[in-house]
Amino acid sequence: MRAPRTTPRRYLPWIGIILTAFVAVPALFAPLIAPYDPFALAGPPLASPSRSHLMGTDSLGRDLFSAVVHGARTSLLVSICVAAPAALIGATVGLTAGFAGGWVDNVLMRITEFIQIIPRFFLAIVVLAIFGDGYRNLVIVLAISSWPVIGRAVRSQTLAVRDLAYVESARMVGARVPRIIVREILPSMWSILTVMTGLLLADVILIEASLSFLGLGDPNHASWGRLASDAQQYLRHAWWLAVFPGAAIVTAVVGVNLVVNDWRPEHSDVGS
Amino acid sequence: MTRGYIFARLWQTLPMLLGVVVIGFLLVHIAPGDPILALAGENGDEAYYAAMRERYGLDQPLANQLGTYLWRLAQGDLGTSAIQKQPVSDVILDRLPNTLLLAGTALVISTLGGVLAGLWAASRVGGWRDRTVAIGTLLMYALPVFWLGQIAILWFGLRWGWFPVQGRTDARSRATGLAHVLDVAHHLALPALVLASQQIAVIARLTRATLVDALRSPHIDAARARGVSESRILVRHALPAALLPVVTVVGNRVGHLVSGAVVIEIVFGWPGIGRLLVSATNDRDIPVLLGLFLLIGFAVLIANLLTDITYKWLDPRIRIG
Amino acid sequence: MKGPRRRVFAGLAAVMLVTASCASDDEPVADESDTTTGTSPATQPPEDETAEQPASTTAPTETTEATQTTDPGAPEDDGPAGAGGTLVVAISDDPGQYNPALTTSGSVHTASELMFSGLVSYDDDYAPQPDLALSWEIEDDGALYRFALRDDVAWHDGTPFTSNDVKFTFENVLTEFHSRTKASVGALLVSVDTPDDTTVEFRFSEPYAPLLQQLDVTEAPILPAHIYANGDIEGNPANLEPVGTGPFMFGSRTPDEEIVLVKNPDYFEDGLPILDEVVMRVIPDAGSQVLALESGEVDWLWGVPGPDLERFRNDDRYGTLDTLVNPGGANCIMTVSFNLDRAIFQDVQVRRAIAHALDREAFVERVAFGQGNAATAPISSGIPTAHADGLDLPDFDPDEAARLLDEAGWVRDGDGVRTAQGVDGVDDGTPLRFGVHLFPNFAPYGELMKALLIEIGVDLEINALERATMVEQVFTDRNFDTNVISYCNGTDPEVGIRRMYISGNIAPIPFSNSSGYVNTDVDALFDEARNTVDPAARAEVYRTLQEILVDELPYYWLVETTSTRVFTAECSGFKAFGHFAESASCSRE
Repeated sequence: MRAPRTTPRRYLPWIGIILTAFVAVPALFAPLIAPYDPFALAGPPLASPSRSHLMGTDSLGRDLFSAVVHGARTSLLVSICVAAPAALIGATVGLTAGFAGGWVDNVLMRITEFIQIIPRFFLAIVVLAIFGDGYRNLVIVLAISSWPVIGRAVRSQTLAVRDLAYVESARMVGARVPRIIVREILPSMWSILTVMTGLLLADVILIEASLSFLGLGDPNHASWGRLASDAQQYLRHAWWLAVFPGAAIVTAVVGVNLVVNDWRPEHSDVGS
Repeated sequence: MTRGYIFARLWQTLPMLLGVVVIGFLLVHIAPGDPILALAGENGDEAYYAAMRERYGLDQPLANQLGTYLWRLAQGDLGTSAIQKQPVSDVILDRLPNTLLLAGTALVISTLGGVLAGLWAASRVGGWRDRTVAIGTLLMYALPVFWLGQIAILWFGLRWGWFPVQGRTDARSRATGLAHVLDVAHHLALPALVLASQQIAVIARLTRATLVDALRSPHIDAARARGVSESRILVRHALPAALLPVVTVVGNRVGHLVSGAVVIEIVFGWPGIGRLLVSATNDRDIPVLLGLFLLIGFAVLIANLLTDITYKWLDPRIRIG
Repeated sequence: MKGPRRRVFAGLAAVMLVTASCASDDEPVADESDTTTGTSPATQPPEDETAEQPASTTAPTETTEATQTTDPGAPEDDGPAGAGGTLVVAISDDPGQYNPALTTSGSVHTASELMFSGLVSYDDDYAPQPDLALSWEIEDDGALYRFALRDDVAWHDGTPFTSNDVKFTFENVLTEFHSRTKASVGALLVSVDTPDDTTVEFRFSEPYAPLLQQLDVTEAPILPAHIYANGDIEGNPANLEPVGTGPFMFGSRTPDEEIVLVKNPDYFEDGLPILDEVVMRVIPDAGSQVLALESGEVDWLWGVPGPDLERFRNDDRYGTLDTLVNPGGANCIMTVSFNLDRAIFQDVQVRRAIAHALDREAFVERVAFGQGNAATAPISSGIPTAHADGLDLPDFDPDEAARLLDEAGWVRDGDGVRTAQGVDGVDDGTPLRFGVHLFPNFAPYGELMKALLIEIGVDLEINALERATMVEQVFTDRNFDTNVISYCNGTDPEVGIRRMYISGNIAPIPFSNSSGYVNTDVDALFDEARNTVDPAARAEVYRTLQEILVDELPYYWLVETTSTRVFTAECSGFKAFGHFAESASCSRE
């Protein structure tokens, strides 16, 4: 019997961690790493990469390397601001629905379904265009439209765990419900939350990029999406403007995906 | 699967759609900015603005406006585009077929391509094929769509001249019949491929994962023991089971496809719903925006329903609950 | 420019040149300036046309400032009439209706002006030239205008054009729906009379000088009364399939994709148009438009993104045409407006400091990519009769800017953001931080402003807002610190400039006096200029005005923007705007 090799490729998560570190370190230490203020004029316009401007300069003469480094911070911050409330709401709703069952479950699931009707990118376009394109609005609209995915995943996980014997035994001993949630179910949520939040992070970076392309980025912050979309009109004049922010996006998205892939429960459609 | 079930599900979508419309209505009406200022041009005076407000019913209390809108909606009247001065239903229906063509083609390409890539990867788990697919799909997933689109235009369109760079038909020739179909297909190829790329990545990864899972199951071992060839095992035994989650994901990603179409339509000058959304938003064309909310909500709900039906059709073990 | 009819109004026209203009945000072309029709009917184009001068037919030059830069080394022999062919024009959106009398929207006008005509057209000095009207007389000091119309014009459906069409269009359409014409002409118009089929008389309640500047296809396109007279004007099917008198007729339309215009074989200008077909192709993304031109899928772009322009200028496969008529209006200046209601901007020294920090040349080079020149006065150099030379506009001088801010009480510690120390109306310690409101397509102006202001310790927040929100916050709520708007001067200060400065126009109306500037001397000087007939005396009044404005800086003027049309060298004979393709032709192997 020749069984095919099915062991996961162990080195991939490590590559993911290294890639993610490439993003996280600049994000944490942006002001120390960036040689210039990302918004100030630092040299001649459209200068190609050189010793003084590692990634060249943009059409105004701002240092691209500094912008990419600060962009890491922006992208990460926005992603976290979206992912944190989305994970919190999603986990709360998912746990409540899964654990309570009955009509509570029914109502909560109808609500999540309802929110999922309008695609979040569609909603983001409308909201940013008519309410203004600041990051506050972006974070609000993405957080509101992203939690249902997490909520549903958490619910199905809760349902699975709820029926497991060890929870049953805890119940029989007479533990109160909140205690069961905290002690037994939350730990099992950890992996799924990590996966979902990680993928959401990657999604937010991509969504922000596409919104910037539609002219809905926030011009007061250096962000990779904005840099990459602004670069589109210089594709044939200044390759560096498109390549470096593009590479940064790919690094972050691939990195996060590789890291969380290892935790990803089989069959789940997370990230969709 | 009974007809009654389908009707019941369709019936359930009605309150959902109503909710979408009401929320959309409130959203665009509480937004800052006076839609009249977008409509009325650059000059004009207070009296002119007042007359415009009256003409478009914007001087009424919000509840009345909502009531009027819903009442007309119930009669099948979506209103008139404030910018284009045409019935909203015409404005949308003019463009809908193009988006359906684009998104539908992308859906087919991505489903076939994704499943094939997944099969290919799973045929030798851990081998170079598997690695190629893993890396390729990750990159396709990680690149912003507009980025990929512009690069595709630059290379396949301008450098090598394989495809036209924009539009749905050739501007100079008025082809009819088969020539027209070929012309449209030629223009469709590049945008559909770019739009499909991200979906291919998602579906390929999922197919591979479920196949690997299915290959571990006892009945596969039994088949192997009977000496069934590895490729036959993969296609005949493992694939059907693996397709179920794929169906779910394909259905769930219809919203993503519509979203991606917005950017693709702008990059490739494809005359569809996505572009209508962007221009209606910028012009604050409220009737059109609400019509689009309704349409997209409807599309997503129908996609969900079709997914359920297909799922059940593929897996007769599941009883309709 | 010396035909017999010129004398009728030449003097007055020069004085009263007033073209409604608008502050543009993005859309192509509003002002019409047709250079083809002289006082005699246009001659056959081929005779006058030279290979390297694909300009208009009889008119010797383009609009003022317009230049032809088609490379003379690469003459495509366009050949004489009969070349015909199809011209594919890229437009950035499909307006969905094509009735230019209903709206001032640039995209409607871009798509539809070739199909319509006005009573007059404008030459390169914006002087009125015959179009549907052959000549005109003015009586009662300008309270009565009498036009003699052509008798050989037919609508695209064959119905003869008469004075009744003009009467109907003005009374029922233009003064109801066309916001600029409604606001200006409509306010004073008493009646439109038609003594016979080829005569039309406009009667005003008081002398109305600017009328002749408001009669072209942009400001007053004439509609067919026999089609619009019955029923709903806004919902008329002819808005989708227009019937006009212009050089091209409606052919077909595919929504958001293309509008096909076909040659009008019975056009009243003999021998025109030459092209068989003009296809307006909708391509929303500017980058994709450029690629489509290069791949040969389109022939004409209304404008190109800055970085691509140099390439086209240096490539003999393309021709370019520069014009001061921008998308949305003529003689536009990118202008910074300070909200004078805000405490921080009440000190002129602060405004002057900011002006010293904003390097106008940098805006021209890095944001406009050379499509324009640094503004040197509040009134555009495109209006030579009013523009003042040699004004003392603050030059780029960051050190002076820093000094002025120090003096004004905004002190800086190290290279951080300045804070208030004894500034009137501002709490001590308040950072020097303010916002700039602009349309999203002008965001690069905000980004360069931000970069330049960082140098002098000012923190700028960019608020890029779509039209409805922007107009409401700036003009209705006056809830902004500064804004950058493209104020189009038009062809006379009376409409395009007066509105920005007079205290009576601080109103919830788009593109009014957004700074909230109040100076009774300035108000009086604008009135004086309006009543001063002698051009030299009038120019002197405007000079005094501009000196005050430069001194007080309620606004700061950055760039006089120009636009550049780019087209394939296989086609020639274009004008920069209006009936731009009327005498164009294309030759392809």
